[in-house]
Amino acid sequence: MGSNGRMELSRRSLLGAAGGLSAAGMLAACGGGGGAGGGGGSEPIAFWNMPWGGDQFNPTDEEIVTAYQPPEGLPPATYQTVQWANFTQTFSSAVASQTGPAVSSGGGTQAFLFENQGAIAYADDLLESWRGNGLYDDFLPGLIDAMRTDNGYAAVPYNLDMRVLWVNPTLLEEAGTEAPTDWQSFLDACEALKQIDVYGYGDGSGSGRFTGGHILVSWMIGNGGGLFNADQQPECVTPANIEAMEFVLECVAKGYVDPAAATYTSDNVQEQWRARRFGMGFDGGGLAANIGGEVGDEIVVNSPLTSPAGTQGMLYFPNNIMMYQDTPSQEGSEAFLTYYYQNMSRLWTENTGIGLPPLRSIAETPEFQENPNNVKIIEEYQPIAKTWAAPGGSALFQGVTSVDATPIIDTFTQQILTGATDARSALEQLQRGIEDTIN
Amino acid sequence: MTDLAIGERVRRARRGVAPGGSGRQRPQTGRRGPSARTLTMLLLVLPSVLLIALLNLYPVLYGSLQSVRDGTLISEGDFVGLENFADVLTSPGFWAAARFTLIFTLVGVFGSWAVGLALAMLLRTRIPGGRAFKVLLLLPWVVPVVVTSTSWNWLVATPQSPLPILGELLGLGRVLFLADPLLASITVCVFKVWISFPFMMMMMSASLAAVDENVYEAGRVDGANRRQLFTQLTLPLISRSTYISWILMTIFCVNDFPTIFLLTGGGPVNTTTSLVVLSYRTTFAQYQTGPGTAIALLMTATLVIVSVVLYRQIRKVDIA
Repeated sequence: MGSNGRMELSRRSLLGAAGGLSAAGMLAACGGGGGAGGGGGSEPIAFWNMPWGGDQFNPTDEEIVTAYQPPEGLPPATYQTVQWANFTQTFSSAVASQTGPAVSSGGGTQAFLFENQGAIAYADDLLESWRGNGLYDDFLPGLIDAMRTDNGYAAVPYNLDMRVLWVNPTLLEEAGTEAPTDWQSFLDACEALKQIDVYGYGDGSGSGRFTGGHILVSWMIGNGGGLFNADQQPECVTPANIEAMEFVLECVAKGYVDPAAATYTSDNVQEQWRARRFGMGFDGGGLAANIGGEVGDEIVVNSPLTSPAGTQGMLYFPNNIMMYQDTPSQEGSEAFLTYYYQNMSRLWTENTGIGLPPLRSIAETPEFQENPNNVKIIEEYQPIAKTWAAPGGSALFQGVTSVDATPIIDTFTQQILTGATDARSALEQLQRGIEDTIN
Repeated sequence: MTDLAIGERVRRARRGVAPGGSGRQRPQTGRRGPSARTLTMLLLVLPSVLLIALLNLYPVLYGSLQSVRDGTLISEGDFVGLENFADVLTSPGFWAAARFTLIFTLVGVFGSWAVGLALAMLLRTRIPGGRAFKVLLLLPWVVPVVVTSTSWNWLVATPQSPLPILGELLGLGRVLFLADPLLASITVCVFKVWISFPFMMMMMSASLAAVDENVYEAGRVDGANRRQLFTQLTLPLISRSTYISWILMTIFCVNDFPTIFLLTGGGPVNTTTSLVVLSYRTTFAQYQTGPGTAIALLMTATLVIVSVVLYRQIRKVDIA
């Protein structure tokens, strides 16, 4: 080769460039990517919020956050939307790498999982300060208690995700029956609906739809049962729970439950409501809005059912906002949250689609009172609603993450909704699954 | 030209003797230290090796460390030795998932290969609009799986879906494609074949294109019928590509998460839960990173063994 000198130079240059690229790659891979974590007083408070409502929710929410004027010496706040898809991984990896938010919402039991790992900043001081400005007393009954752990308050209640009974009065009328008031009249209504080829127990537990499991636990809670005892240990195989699951299995056996329900996604369920194949069913408070159209206007929230034991109850999720240890300023996090709670009413009065409000003052606004379904949920369901911790208590704890949208509860639900088991066996398997996960 | 002649050519080429040549292989010189050229080449390769090590080896090593700890998503946990592996291997759920993974992989690999090969052979013949067909047949592979799984859900999930309606019209009653455990397994496997056959079709098309038409002509002259032409000529001549496509598709099937998760979520009652779905659910839904990564490592080990076995088959083909 006649150009050795040039070749040598070229190789060196190439090696240098390759080495530089390699180093840059390593730095990029190893680096945390910045973010709001870590120390430093000049860093803003990073607030991550979920898409809790429709298209207008996050833009409105961002307006509220960006309008925040921090008190002298405290950091401002930034806003970021985190999608629900894989949100657990998003938060976990961010928290583990200290690139997470200072304040965030998230899954209903997320705060208790992170609290157990020492990542949460307790809200005790914040809540104490809210006693003075009226915010503390503005919360609906029982909500703040649900946030209490042995070490302090893991989070602050944000929006309520209730499980309620929806009915289509047009179909009930067509079937010649009335809205149910208790378990027996529910069976009667289901039987009448079956005669017009409509399912009375409309539900689903397919991919990504966890409501099916929520409703099974709601039947247990409604019958005075539930999954955890007062020691926060699983206690699934109880007479109340067995009776509740036998009731559901009776519904399955009598053909009141769609045989494909076990694999229905949320879209599939809503499609069945729209197709008027579901005359009654259990879902979240936003079902009518999600269905939309003519059927969305038709369906109404029914009153809670009374069990044979004379009790009522449904599962609910006090979705919350949590503060993290990894914050530029704890005082700044608390100041921001105080501002946020004092100014967040727009999220409800402008119908952004977020769940039910945690504050009385918002629930009493004329805009909120315009929706009779929401009013009914607040008036009739919120007082009887219980958390995953029932019947042992109301405060959430890390153990409940073993049943919140997990394979254990999915399998249990699909077993029941397909009628592939008996109540005791299914509950015993659920008990073992929870014990294996917790211990 | 006979196969023996081809084999001899290959052996000669490996000895460094050119086709048609008769010389001896270049004698090996004595062991010397690395030349400046070798060093330069090594240095050129080094950045890539470092990057690959960082991007591939590091996660594998980190995953291995997690598999012997009882950590969660945000904490490493304590060292528990091989306890996670023992728990996983004694769990009925693991073996049920392994069994479904095996069925899913066998159907996925051989089903997509059979359909892909059949279509590749069909498209070799002159049919009107052959190119348009090729493009259309590629769509299942090209379209994102999120879209195709949604389409399949629309196709089979509810009583208002087209296929259940067709089933009712045919007098089969209400067919529960996703809710019946057996039908759900079949549906997921068929979906996998449907989504994968274009890849096999492309592989086989490329392989068939390299086969000399004269070989078939010679076979016909020797009196071979169509079946014999296929089994005695086509299959052996494309065997190398076939084994490579099997290796790739085995890896695709064992590691296939979205196809199953988006269509059934692993249900009903875990019937369609594969190992990768089980690993995901254990890690990200139950927050148990130890058992989750243990499952993933066991999958990796199995895949390595299967790949080695199939690679040996390729070497046998090369030598023959």
